[in-house]
Amino acid sequence: MSKFKKFAKNNIGFFFCLPWLIGFLVFKLYPFCSSLFYSFTDYNLFKGMTQFTLKNYINVFANDTERTALLVTFKYAFMTVPLKLVFALFIAYILNFKIKGVNFFRTAYYIPSILGGSVAIAVLWKALFKDDGVIHTLFALFGASSPSFLSDPGWALFIICLLRVWQFGSAMVIFLAALKGVPNDLYEAASIDGAGKWKQFFSITVPLITPVIFYNLVTQLVQAFQEFNGPFIITQGGPLNSTTLMSLLIYNNAFKIYDMGKASAQAWVLFVILMIFTLIAFWSQKHWVYYQDEGR
Amino acid sequence: MTTAVKTISDSQKKIRNRRIRSTVIRYVVLILVGIIMIYPLIWMIGATFKTNSEIFTSLNPFPSNPTLQGYIDAMANYGGKINIWLAMLNTYKFVIPEVIFTLISCTLTAYGFSRFEFKGRNIMFTLMLAMLFLPQVVLNVPQYMMYQKWGWVGSELYLPLWVPSMFATESYFVFMLVQFLRNIPRDLDEAAKIDGCNAMQILIKIIVPMLMPAIVSCALFKFMWSSNNFMGPLLYVNKPAYYPATIFVKLSMDSDAGFNWNRILAISLISILPNITVFFLAQNQFVDGISAGGVKG
Amino acid sequence: MKKGLFGSVMTSVLAASMLAGCSSAAAPAATAAAASVDSKSASEYDTCTIRFDWWGGDTRHAATQKAVDAFMKKYPGITVEVNFGAWTDWETARALEYQSGTGSDLTQINYSWISDYDADGNTFLDLNTESSIIDLTQYDSTLLKTCEDSKGQLAGIPLAVTGRTFYWNKTTFTKAGISTPTSLDELLAAGKTFKEKLGDDYYPLELGEYDRMLLVSFYLQAQTGEPIIDASGKLTVTQDQLKDGLDFIQKLEDNHVIPTLATIAGDGNVTLNENPKFIDGHYAGVFEWDSAPAKYIKNLGEGQELVVGGELKGLGDKATGVSDKVSMLFAITKTSEHPHEAAMLLNYLVNDEEGVTILGSERGIPSSKAAYDILDKAGKIDKTVAAAHKAVMDADPMSFSPLFDNAKLKGTSAAYTTIFDAVSYGKQSTEEGAKALYQAYMEVCKN
Repeated sequence: MSKFKKFAKNNIGFFFCLPWLIGFLVFKLYPFCSSLFYSFTDYNLFKGMTQFTLKNYINVFANDTERTALLVTFKYAFMTVPLKLVFALFIAYILNFKIKGVNFFRTAYYIPSILGGSVAIAVLWKALFKDDGVIHTLFALFGASSPSFLSDPGWALFIICLLRVWQFGSAMVIFLAALKGVPNDLYEAASIDGAGKWKQFFSITVPLITPVIFYNLVTQLVQAFQEFNGPFIITQGGPLNSTTLMSLLIYNNAFKIYDMGKASAQAWVLFVILMIFTLIAFWSQKHWVYYQDEGR
Repeated sequence: MTTAVKTISDSQKKIRNRRIRSTVIRYVVLILVGIIMIYPLIWMIGATFKTNSEIFTSLNPFPSNPTLQGYIDAMANYGGKINIWLAMLNTYKFVIPEVIFTLISCTLTAYGFSRFEFKGRNIMFTLMLAMLFLPQVVLNVPQYMMYQKWGWVGSELYLPLWVPSMFATESYFVFMLVQFLRNIPRDLDEAAKIDGCNAMQILIKIIVPMLMPAIVSCALFKFMWSSNNFMGPLLYVNKPAYYPATIFVKLSMDSDAGFNWNRILAISLISILPNITVFFLAQNQFVDGISAGGVKG
Repeated sequence: MKKGLFGSVMTSVLAASMLAGCSSAAAPAATAAAASVDSKSASEYDTCTIRFDWWGGDTRHAATQKAVDAFMKKYPGITVEVNFGAWTDWETARALEYQSGTGSDLTQINYSWISDYDADGNTFLDLNTESSIIDLTQYDSTLLKTCEDSKGQLAGIPLAVTGRTFYWNKTTFTKAGISTPTSLDELLAAGKTFKEKLGDDYYPLELGEYDRMLLVSFYLQAQTGEPIIDASGKLTVTQDQLKDGLDFIQKLEDNHVIPTLATIAGDGNVTLNENPKFIDGHYAGVFEWDSAPAKYIKNLGEGQELVVGGELKGLGDKATGVSDKVSMLFAITKTSEHPHEAAMLLNYLVNDEEGVTILGSERGIPSSKAAYDILDKAGKIDKTVAAAHKAVMDADPMSFSPLFDNAKLKGTSAAYTTIFDAVSYGKQSTEEGAKALYQAYMEVCKN
């Protein structure tokens, strides 16, 4: 009994994490292992499996459609993540000041995220960007001609990216929470020392919230790679597969063709990519992220 | 005693004008960007009063011949089985437990990961993060098989939807809370320990109050994500009387028969009103007040 | 990797779960009820609860619920639990139910679900065993043959047969000074007239990617006299013939008969009935199922009139090229514990006077002779749908293979969309498009 007590005393943290461990073993382990298993087979939900194969993984890079989807997904992620982070942090900083009606502004900026994948967004986005839609009319007012966003393969991805960046509200809220943790007296002291708002931002605010910037960077990257709703409901992956992200192919394979082997392999390729990016991010932490609980 | 200064010097006037100008610019920018942000909501509200053809042909967000038909249709009750109010009630039957359980389990887990060293911590943390990387889509089928073996499919208590949240399955929140926790200096922890508090008491009395903005954010997001969950209810709810709002919205969206968008948008609007309200009310967590000063050195 | 208790627990759980996954990865559970012929009469039944699901729009939900309530009143003791929703994603949830053996007792299924989910005959009950309850004589025997699964069992009762036909916006054609086209030549001429008389943005017809493939199949079938995919699942056309079909579509585009897919995308990526250019008459023709004109008529702008055009003559000389298919069926799952009662409900809905009258033509024009007569006498058959259906049937249609709609071919990012987009946008020639299309078919067909 005392051995257990000793173990408990030295490993209290383990008991706090116990709910997670139980949840992982009971709810997550089986589905994860199943999908990893399927990815090495040609398992079809209704036809069963006939063989083990690496074909699914090879096809992600060899098959034209899949390789293009992977590239489009990369493009999408690297276009939206930096923009979204910058807007979110910038607006959060502005909204952290005492401004009249700040509550209304914050709610207004969060509305896009609330509308989220709502059917209204699909209808609206198409109405905005169609050939004689609102955006086109605005351009015409200034005497310019707008590209045909919905039918030009070079521009369709742009409006999908725009949709994501427009929904920066959730990242903004997290930054707001982080900004709250920066003590006001630091700002006051800096003002007295003559530092302007911008200097304060870069010297005080940013360093103190790097853990949260890190969080948003990683999670936004993960979410961008797994984005599904936008391209699915607005462009259906078109035109000419220019907005076909990997997630659309995975969805098709998993829920329409029921080729679980293929869908799983595609999903696990994304998993590995995200794992690599996250490992890099974690490794880079020591250069730019400061945690206040460790006095680094 | 100094006498009141009757005139302001020129340079002070310049400073004041500059401040007024920057304030005006700030407000103008905020309002303009704000309009872009809420334009879709305005459009959506306007569309709930338009007819189908007007929605598709007109660019004006405001209806030219407003009609209440959308809202009237939204009150349909499908043979008495399900209506919009019941659907929303159903949504909160599982969303609220989900939020509560998520907050508790994720906070406990985050505390464990960030404040303690223990055997297997790094592996568990890596696994916890790794859960984020696999798209949920490929997990749906094995999960369905699993729940079906346990008899949870079709559960009237919505078991598959909220039971997992008791076990910190939302890695997004565990990770978020870990990052915020690691930004809280340990000085107060140490002080409380010396005073005789055990780990749980430190968590409840010291950590949680300082973690409040992050916890509130988690609650907001979980509330929103859960109320927007479509796949979960689609697979695990199979009685119309138990349909939540996300399924209810799509009930009449049959492309073969054609449908009226004003009604769909009315139902959508009504179902996101709670989200907007909750967010608005949670604002005071983000305003200066509680623990704004952080830890004084 | 930390060894010890933790490590070994993890490895054994991992191993156990993989093995568990292995066993459930095998063929779907078939805890089949006895497949012997049901000899109980309709008046003897057990007190039980059965589940019934269907998809549809509001009116269908309302009518079906009413019919179910009437059924429960007529046969007290049988409780029917219903599940209903819209078509989107309905199939996903139901497919998982069929796979795991938890499907409803009575279920509404799509035509392709027999080959998709009942390939081994273990999902849906052979309804021949319920022939004492379900009056199979009301159905044409060749029709019933198309509803059989690979083992020759009757997998479902066909509810309605549907085919595609043309509908024209008479108002626009009148504006252009011509009558609505009845042949391919007239349609080609109309394209020219529209461009000259009405302008560049007026077209006599609009076709999306799937519509184009369907029209190509009509065109090829008219020339070969055979369905494009025959009853055994083989593709009956060559790659060159597919190229010919793609050229045919290209000809329609070049002659201003149909707008390019780029134009349609630019219109806002909406379905035709929601496209403002259709609503105000710029797109003056629709190629649609005979059961679905309502949503077009409902949305059409003021003063416009949509009329049934019937089939186009002159697509080829061997046949009209028209094909039809069973639109949907009622099936009983093999895992149902009360097939007898489920069959009673089925027969009530499709053959019984009371049930049929309540349901009306919510599921199209009924295939059951009895149902058709009842509705016809009561005047409940929609005139437009009836006219369209007659046009399809008069064209001596061939049978549609469910493989035509296979998920690898039809749907987002599937073959039809990708290939027709590429050809219409000019990214592929019709030669390359035909090659890709042929390869796509080879993956699905039984050649």
